[in-house]
Amino acid sequence: MADIELRNVSKHFGEAEIINGVDFKAGHGEFIVFVGPSGCGKSTLLRLITGLDQVSGGQILIGGEDVTRLRPSQRGVAMVFQSYALFPHLSVAENIGFGLRLAKLPKAEIKQRVRETARILRVEDLLDRKPRQLSGGQRQRVAIGRSIIRNPKVFLFDEPLSNLDAALRVLMRLEIARLHKRLGTTMIYVTHDQTEAMTLADRIVVINRGRIEQIGSPINLYDAPANRFVAGFIGSPAMNFVELSRREGDCYLGASDQGADALLPQFTGEAAVLGVRPEHVMLADADMADLRATVEIVEKLGSETMVYLQTKAMDTPLTMRAPPESRLAPGERVSLRFERGHIHVFDHEGATISTR
Amino acid sequence: MERSTGYWRVALLALPVTVFAVFIVWPLFSSFYYSFTDWNGFNPDYDFVGFTNYAKIITDKLFLNAVINTVIWMLAAILLPTALGLALALLIDSRVPGGALFKSIFYLPICLSAVVVGQIWIWIYQPDWGLLNTVIAQVTGDHPRYAWLAKPDTALGSVIVAWSWQQTGLSMVIFLAGLTSIPGDLLEVCEIEGANVWQRTRIVVIPLLTPATVVVVALSVINSLKGFDILYIMTGGGPFHSSDTLAMHMYNESFKKYLMGYGSAISVVLFLIALTVIRIYFRELRRVDEIYG
Repeated sequence: MADIELRNVSKHFGEAEIINGVDFKAGHGEFIVFVGPSGCGKSTLLRLITGLDQVSGGQILIGGEDVTRLRPSQRGVAMVFQSYALFPHLSVAENIGFGLRLAKLPKAEIKQRVRETARILRVEDLLDRKPRQLSGGQRQRVAIGRSIIRNPKVFLFDEPLSNLDAALRVLMRLEIARLHKRLGTTMIYVTHDQTEAMTLADRIVVINRGRIEQIGSPINLYDAPANRFVAGFIGSPAMNFVELSRREGDCYLGASDQGADALLPQFTGEAAVLGVRPEHVMLADADMADLRATVEIVEKLGSETMVYLQTKAMDTPLTMRAPPESRLAPGERVSLRFERGHIHVFDHEGATISTR
Repeated sequence: MERSTGYWRVALLALPVTVFAVFIVWPLFSSFYYSFTDWNGFNPDYDFVGFTNYAKIITDKLFLNAVINTVIWMLAAILLPTALGLALALLIDSRVPGGALFKSIFYLPICLSAVVVGQIWIWIYQPDWGLLNTVIAQVTGDHPRYAWLAKPDTALGSVIVAWSWQQTGLSMVIFLAGLTSIPGDLLEVCEIEGANVWQRTRIVVIPLLTPATVVVVALSVINSLKGFDILYIMTGGGPFHSSDTLAMHMYNESFKKYLMGYGSAISVVLFLIALTVIRIYFRELRRVDEIYG
């Protein structure tokens, strides 16, 4: 178990800047999730920590030791790959015990530790099989087994559940959470799936274009996003964004004639963006409404209802999370109100001005 | 529409099927047929002699000599190009400077015909001014004037060296293709888990090259069974039958001694050997496919 610190880490491939001066620290035993869109640099950052790629600048410390120039095997890290990276010609037992075999440990000890690891991951009946004879979930368990058997200081997961189907992904997510609780080892987990990020992380690091946009607990990121990117990336369905415009001194929601002065009395700027999550959009009486809209599509999901509405204020549909028993129907005209205390305002560069 | 498609299929298949039937199937069955005769290759009159030719094979010392030489030839012709090709591929894959250039140089001999390769090596082995003896003379200070191809002890080995020189490039290219198909993350696991170069090569790379190895070995087997031309050019099976393989022996019996019936019997035996080897190959191929898919 060890902490990890990145000091002004950067990485470029030729002219292309992939990681730009990242500073970050993960504490002992913390579960950190790197999340961001495809190509944002999150996997590159993980590979820099592993040592599979070399940094272009900055320092990486693991357990207080500068490992920037050390080889991957000298850093005390273990990595689980998206593709499982199991050796097809080796049995499950040989795959799990691979690192111990390289370290030339006695055969009896390898056998005993493989059995113990297999028991933890519930693959003890599969030890003689080849990877091809395993399901996706079993393969990922074996890959995790190969990582934990060496008792590394840090676990690194590179989108480990992306190749699994939805149901198995939920199960494996629970298994990883359980494993973290059991081992207490520092874990860094890369994903583009914000549900995985929200459910697993002690803290989430949101990355965009090689920079950290925000670091915080899942709820902190959800309730108080630092900027429009984080607000839009965290949460499913995504936050609704409405342009605010000022015409003849009065503030309006987008191109609509719906005034926003009452909604945001302290807003005095020329232009900004209002953000509100689908669960904070409510049906209201006409005299209390912030916005008028027409129901376009209704999605009945059983536990909830997603309603997509057309408004004059937005080019894209506004999303509202309604209770499962909602009787709204396409074409219906409704009055909407945004829940006070959950309205975010971003400036024209995307930074959060306020949450009210 | 369907009927015309059917006619087209028949028409398009007719030519290759005819060629296959005339040049492969018919000679195959003819050989089998003539192996039970005493035909000399010219005379339209011949007699059926039953299993006489096959009985002769058992007692023919030259046949036994040819079998031994064929086994040596095949083992060497499989092992040498495979081992050298693998070694060169691993070396070039380790990003040695000038790797791309060496790759082209090593591949070049496979583009040459066996006749050209044979001739080049005849010059290399030439006793008085050949490259090999000249190099030995330079190193030892004493010109051996050794006739590599004219001595029974070294004739077959010398042809094997020439053959390996030609075939290694092909093995190397197949192994290089195999190396590029090894998933990068498996090699990264080796890096993270602390495998040294030897461990990575032995435990991971060579086993993962099994599909490529199967192809290389299969090609080597097939090519070595067909390896008649280079032997014919360089030694003609001599001296004193020391480089006589089954293919050479069959040729000599059929076309030099005009014992077409006996030569056909040898060819049938050679065919059965080839069939057995190919059966083993297909069995291994299935096993490899089950693991590596």
